[in-house]
Amino acid sequence: MRRWGVVALSVVIAGSVLAAAFAQGGRQGGTLRAALDRDPPNLDPHRSTAAVDRQVFQSLYDKLVDTDENLRIIPMLATSWTISPDGKTMALKLRQGVKFHDGTPFNAEAVKYNFDRMQDPKFPSARRSEIGPIQNVVAVDSATVQIVLEKPYSPLLYVLTDRAGMMVSPAAAQKAGGNFALAPVGAGPFRFVEKIPQDHIALERTPDYWAKGQPSLDRIVYRPIIDDNARVANLKSGDVDIINIVPLPQVKQLTQEAAQTGARFKLLERGAFQWYGVWLNVTKPPFDSKLLRQAFNAAIDRSVIANVVLQGAAYPAFSFFPNGTPAYDPGWKIPSRNLPLAKEKLQAAGRPNGFAFTMLTLPGQQDQALAQAIQSMAAEAGIQMKIETIEFGAMLDTMARLQHQAGQIGWSGRPDPDFDIYPHVTQSGIGSFNFGGYTNPKVQELLDAARLLNDMSQRKRAYGEVTKILADDMPYVWTHFPKEYKLVSARVHGFVQVPDGMMRFHKVWLSP
Amino acid sequence: MAVPVTLFLARRLLQMIPVLFFVSVIIFVLINLVPGDAARLFLGEEAPPDALAVLRHEMGLDRPLYVQYLRWAGGLVRGDFGHSFKDNRKVLPTLLQKVPVTAELAAGALLIAWTIAIPAGVLAAWRRRTVVDYSASAVALTGLSIPNFWLGIMLIYLFAVNLRWLPASGYVSPAQDLGRNLRTIVMPAFVLGVVLAAVVMRQLRSSMLEVLGADYVRTASAKGLGARVVLIRHALRNAVIPVITVMGIQLGTLLGGAVITESIFALPGLGRLAVESIYGRDYQMLEGVVLFSAFSILLINLLVDVVYSLIDPRIKLAGARP
Repeated sequence: MRRWGVVALSVVIAGSVLAAAFAQGGRQGGTLRAALDRDPPNLDPHRSTAAVDRQVFQSLYDKLVDTDENLRIIPMLATSWTISPDGKTMALKLRQGVKFHDGTPFNAEAVKYNFDRMQDPKFPSARRSEIGPIQNVVAVDSATVQIVLEKPYSPLLYVLTDRAGMMVSPAAAQKAGGNFALAPVGAGPFRFVEKIPQDHIALERTPDYWAKGQPSLDRIVYRPIIDDNARVANLKSGDVDIINIVPLPQVKQLTQEAAQTGARFKLLERGAFQWYGVWLNVTKPPFDSKLLRQAFNAAIDRSVIANVVLQGAAYPAFSFFPNGTPAYDPGWKIPSRNLPLAKEKLQAAGRPNGFAFTMLTLPGQQDQALAQAIQSMAAEAGIQMKIETIEFGAMLDTMARLQHQAGQIGWSGRPDPDFDIYPHVTQSGIGSFNFGGYTNPKVQELLDAARLLNDMSQRKRAYGEVTKILADDMPYVWTHFPKEYKLVSARVHGFVQVPDGMMRFHKVWLSP
Repeated sequence: MAVPVTLFLARRLLQMIPVLFFVSVIIFVLINLVPGDAARLFLGEEAPPDALAVLRHEMGLDRPLYVQYLRWAGGLVRGDFGHSFKDNRKVLPTLLQKVPVTAELAAGALLIAWTIAIPAGVLAAWRRRTVVDYSASAVALTGLSIPNFWLGIMLIYLFAVNLRWLPASGYVSPAQDLGRNLRTIVMPAFVLGVVLAAVVMRQLRSSMLEVLGADYVRTASAKGLGARVVLIRHALRNAVIPVITVMGIQLGTLLGGAVITESIFALPGLGRLAVESIYGRDYQMLEGVVLFSAFSILLINLLVDVVYSLIDPRIKLAGARP
């Protein structure tokens, strides 16, 4: 027994000496294996729509600007930026001496090419709505670009921290045409080696990356492991070093395991970034009645959803702004469950015996458990909810055409609050993200006005007012904000968890 | 009337053409009946209408359904299965890249199934209504009842997480490293093999029982042949014929891709390709996968027929006409 103690002690000492050495000098080399929850479908940032694509983009493409772990905007390919007093022009100073992976220089012309590409009507870009207010981009000199807007557009900087700000090599994009996704070329810390569909995507270090001393890793291999349990098991067995999505119902168990001495992995947690709940279609019975929407809402117990169904891996929600995002307001109250109120509303709506409706939900353990919990809560208020499980694409289609009564689906979240609310509750979102079919002139006016303001505290006031209106109108019954988790092997050092959930590996290094 | 093997094969291969034609029509229609707009799925929900129109045109979705079918079928005849909607990857090479993985998995599962099922089936029939028989049946029932995903995860926890003997997932080709290849394939092959073994064992047991009661087996015993010779040379050889039919059907299903097992062990086979294509509404890729599976099932049926005649000389390869 004592001998084991000595051995353990020496291991700890040796470990800390090594760790200290690495912490000082960093450590070069090694292959990091990252597991993704799906196979990234498209590696062209201007065409991609899947959230999982963005994971790979973080290493492959540098953006004009990035966000740090507190969602502050930090320089990346643009070193500084100024916005004109009328809010209609943004001038960006560009980093000098940067090259794309194919040797093409990064300069103002390259930036202009990228925006032209995203706005080209003959190119089916998924980015056009995000950069819609951009009128044109002017290359002032090789180190300066001007983005000219039709009207002030406060979300622009945050938009540039995501796919619209990711710069592709103009030479490579022109040459590859529609095949660019097969041989993507960016200016990020890692360059593309190969993609074997359903097996892996391999990237290797860019030898002359502009940030000195970065990256440390030689190689990153992304592997899609779609089964939740298998992904966790792969991390535990040491077959992968980090996983992008941790199944929420396993969080409690994983927290305990990670806290044990000698645990081979860490569980990292950040505030919530996503929202989740149930869309109620306000254009169709029964939820064209506000009283019935309110009755359903009053039957929901949000603390049970967050703490029992999801075992504490989520916060109860009553707005579109989770606490990991800039527009979050801790003053917003979460209503508690109120069955008498639910009955009262039913009575007022002339449906004292309740009503019945069908809720669409996605397959998968977690969604099913949530749906069943909501079903039984609603039943106690006399509301009969039928659950219909439907495949993702069919669900989006049905809901975009407003053919549903209710549907349970969330949103992955964006660093700028505008995208967490605007397309979801305004006229322009009908047929796309506005699955409630909800419109309200006051809401529209407040949200349009917020887009013109560059001051976040002023914007927050507008979002607060809209939230109050929505909390009464209830086109969306917020239930919870899932917390952002990463499960990381103890070998991984220097990983900074950003609330947007995207894994950035610029500064990561591995111990043996 | 018996026909030469080559003529038989030629006829059967020709017969496949109309079958494949009907299969292709059915696949095409079914996949296009699925709700959801592929173009919208690619461009995201907020896609502007003109961008959607450009993409629909690029994908050929703006043409009438029959034109879309004819373009696709025309390509098939020339060996061109089209391009993935998602990243413009060619369908046929992508498909062919997956075949060895799925084929190896299927072969491994088959091998494991035979190794378990043949001795167990023979013993159970021979020692009918004894402990041997009952325990074999119990094991078979268990094998049939355990869900693939559960067994897969349990094996990963035992052999990869706790014992660290085997990798939890992934695939290494045998050309690259045979040892590592076997280590990646053994768990998924076992998962599939166990279920298959249960099916085969039950089938073998019942056909063995039938055969053991037949006159020629009694004759063989009466001639004073040993139990082993009677069982293996006389009884098993005849009892195995219905089993081959079952195996053929199972193998066809396996070659279509073992979706759940491939997903759990992150094997880049046809099953995973099919699932990802469904998720992504990648019509061209999905049509390719399904058509390929149909083709391999037809081919295996043909193979089963040939094997029949090799095992049992009484079964003759018959042509379409007498």
